[in-house]
Amino acid sequence: MLHDAPQFLIALEQSGLGAAIRSSPWAYPIANVGHILALTLFAASVAIMDLRMLGAFAGTAPASVVHPARRMAMLGLALMALTGFMLFTAEASHVAMNRVFQIKAGLIALGILNAVLIAGPAIANIAGVPAHTPLPTRARMAAVISLLIWVAVAACGRLIAYF
Amino acid sequence: MRRTLAIALFVLAAPAAVLAHHGWGSYDASKLVTVEGPIEASTYANPHVQITVKAPDKTWTVTLAPISRMQSRGAPAELVAIGKTVKAEGYASKAEPGEMRAERITVDGKTVEMR
Repeated sequence: MLHDAPQFLIALEQSGLGAAIRSSPWAYPIANVGHILALTLFAASVAIMDLRMLGAFAGTAPASVVHPARRMAMLGLALMALTGFMLFTAEASHVAMNRVFQIKAGLIALGILNAVLIAGPAIANIAGVPAHTPLPTRARMAAVISLLIWVAVAACGRLIAYF
Repeated sequence: MRRTLAIALFVLAAPAAVLAHHGWGSYDASKLVTVEGPIEASTYANPHVQITVKAPDKTWTVTLAPISRMQSRGAPAELVAIGKTVKAEGYASKAEPGEMRAERITVDGKTVEMR
């Protein structure tokens, strides 16, 4: 599989960092556990944020839920990226050639684009919106897209090991 | 926020995975394979230790356990070093010809369970 991968990924896998992650008894398991813990933070934050945008917890002012949940989601995403990068580096040439991983990477890009380009502007001006007021269609659409994409990303992440 | 997400996008262009064969579904568990011969290559690394064994019929890539489990079961790197003679019992991969996952290995008269 090694020879099929792009040169920079082979270099990444063969780097000192890659070797250190593979040769340590604990680095890889710790990254693995960290990735799952970060996932729970990320998934919970995304779920709260998106459900509020869709109209759940209607008794709260939307901004009071959506904005802090979005910050927590960004923290979760950053931790997933860090731990994911460790796991990826250990076997970059294999993983990058894995079809499910490629689908997952594409979905992550779409999820981030949705969060930045569709959800971001839609929730930028909700600070004064009172409770029991539905958010605009654009915000609800972004929330549905977000939920679908991130659930698919999680499924792909687990399925990489089987393809 | 936009800039943070843009950076995250780049970092995530190549993110996370566990390529370990969890559940081991792609191995033929209906037929136990025994591979015996000298170890020609040994990669004592996570997520799985792998050794290359020159058996009489062909050369096998034998997938063992993660480092921490190998160590806790009494199989340090020296036990599966190049030149040692190993007997590995396990299941052949249905996806990758010549690869097997070992259920147990015997080296120097010592048997170590991998699962």
